[in-house]
Amino acid sequence: MAAKQFASMFTAQLKMMFREKQVWFWNIFFPIILMVLFMIIFGGSGSSSSFKATIAVADPVPNASSGALLSQLQQIPVFAMKEETPITLEQGREWVEKKDIDALIVLPETEGVSEVGLIVNREREGSATTQAISGILERFIQQANLAAVGATATYTISMDSITSASDDTNYQDFLMTGMIGLSLAQGGLFGMVELVDMRKRGLLKRLRMTPARMGLFGLAGMIVRLMLGVIQVVILGLVGVFAFGANLHINLASLAIAFFVGALVFNAMGYLFSSFSKTMEAYMGVANISSMLMMFLSGVFFPVETLPEWLQAVPKMLPLTYFVDGLRDGLIYANGVMSSTFWLGMSIMAIWGVVCFLLGSQIYRSKSIAATR
Amino acid sequence: MPVLEVQNLRKSFGDVRAVESISFSVEAGEIFTIIGPNGAGKTTTLEMIEGLLPPDAGVIRFGDKSWGRDAEGIKYNIGVQPQSSAIFDLLTVEENLELFATFYPKSRSAAEVMEMINLTDQRNRHVKKLSGGQQQRLAIGLAMVNDPQIIFLDEPTTGLDPQARRNIWDIILKLKKLGKTTILTTHYMEEAEKLSDRVCIVDQGQIVALDTPSALIDSLTKEREVRLSFLDGAAAAAAADEVARAHHAVVRTELAGDSLQIWTTKPEETLYELFGFTKDRGYRVEQISIREMSLEDVFIAFTGKEWRD
Repeated sequence: MAAKQFASMFTAQLKMMFREKQVWFWNIFFPIILMVLFMIIFGGSGSSSSFKATIAVADPVPNASSGALLSQLQQIPVFAMKEETPITLEQGREWVEKKDIDALIVLPETEGVSEVGLIVNREREGSATTQAISGILERFIQQANLAAVGATATYTISMDSITSASDDTNYQDFLMTGMIGLSLAQGGLFGMVELVDMRKRGLLKRLRMTPARMGLFGLAGMIVRLMLGVIQVVILGLVGVFAFGANLHINLASLAIAFFVGALVFNAMGYLFSSFSKTMEAYMGVANISSMLMMFLSGVFFPVETLPEWLQAVPKMLPLTYFVDGLRDGLIYANGVMSSTFWLGMSIMAIWGVVCFLLGSQIYRSKSIAATR
Repeated sequence: MPVLEVQNLRKSFGDVRAVESISFSVEAGEIFTIIGPNGAGKTTTLEMIEGLLPPDAGVIRFGDKSWGRDAEGIKYNIGVQPQSSAIFDLLTVEENLELFATFYPKSRSAAEVMEMINLTDQRNRHVKKLSGGQQQRLAIGLAMVNDPQIIFLDEPTTGLDPQARRNIWDIILKLKKLGKTTILTTHYMEEAEKLSDRVCIVDQGQIVALDTPSALIDSLTKEREVRLSFLDGAAAAAAADEVARAHHAVVRTELAGDSLQIWTTKPEETLYELFGFTKDRGYRVEQISIREMSLEDVFIAFTGKEWRD
């Protein structure tokens, strides 16, 4: 009979879930909209390593030195010349003022000891672009000086970046996995509002007047929510890959573990919220606050390292941080099951889950809302 | 043997004594109605009997079964329609009935229940699209899905229009024909009077009266109110008033123009006397009425409270 009961509870909850338009909106469309917005705003032109600055060169008094410097400047790949040939000083200043170009480089007027001028807009004096331009220019001049005295540099810097990710990991992948994690977490955090609703409408009481097993009912609901979670992963993944060129390197084992543990944790948190919320509004308030805090502190949109240092300890305590990390292990880094950090994260999440669940059950029991007979 | 027996039931919420000491027993096949003002303890009493609230003290027995050890067995045998119509509103009528049916080892088919509650035409409709009366009928249908011997209906007709209310009465009477026992609470005196085999009036957590509706009304009728009005004006009324006051059964009278109100413990004797007088004098009586006593009067007499629908 338990099997029959479970089957009918499962079908009923599946139907209810998919008949509720709000479920579709908040769990599928809203995350897609959010992801698309973030991709457009922060995804930019793609990889963050492709720095480019638009400059122009003025050569007020052409001479041998300025000619040599000009031809070398034109070789620097990150400098895009607005005009291939030198322009007048006035023209250059005007462009800087209008921010048509990032910087104007003024070539020396005499041969021998002289200076190269760099003109930038004051509003952008401290910007990263300006600093990069001046850095590049400085190095360039240094080399030119060395060349002028016939020396070659003894030491050079060679720079390369490394990541645990596969070579082609970029911000799109990072954001997509963050969004998947966030929407799965929100599914749990907000999903339990149903319990408050059922309690308010007397449905929990009504079920307890029957011999129905409440545990089975809860389990059936849980599985239905997991199914919704799978749909979220698939749809957001597809949008990320096909609309924004995100790359997936799936490790099914770590993905499955992170997904499952995460679903349990956030459902447990929702369950806890439902235990002390008398109204649906109260529940939504608590769920919103917790989801907002975690959203910005858990490395969903930006790496945790970008947070101010004093704040860095907070994400280390939040379950969403480890959930998103775990999903990234499973979806884009294709590693994890063997790594200790993965399991540390899963353990911290599990602790959150267990504590929330026990606390919630205790509150339900103390209010004698839970089935006593 | 009673199918339900309740003895000295007590329940307090903090300082509030919701139920003081309630005892009654219900026989098989009865419609047993509990009425009382808001906050009298009706729902608390029902919820204790239904096993939702543990009583502070007292005994609840369903035949030889009691909550705790025999909880499962009791649940198989009772059906409950709670005050808030607790139904899954994104499921259809039929889906709700089928879901609830799987909770029980033996159950009525959804088709049979829908027939009884007259919702066969709405079988595929989502509950939230049903009218209030239809939802209430479905709630009752859900209470009978396991073909229980005892059915609890907590204010099944509150907030319904007269036609919808009558539809529910039909269902309750059908259940009685099937030999089921119904325990009903209601806000409508007319309903209690019409449907109940016995009525239990509860006030401030205690039973103040318990009997058949007619016995309760009879117990009140120490005096009846008789109204007369005369075609021959105030003089005739005044003369009749004197005659009435002289009669031994009359408690008091009230005269207002050409109409006369008489309170008498023996209305037929008083009227016989009065009509003898009017016939002799040739006075013509325009209207005459004896006010019917209702459960409402019983309620007012026992609780001292006005009845509010």
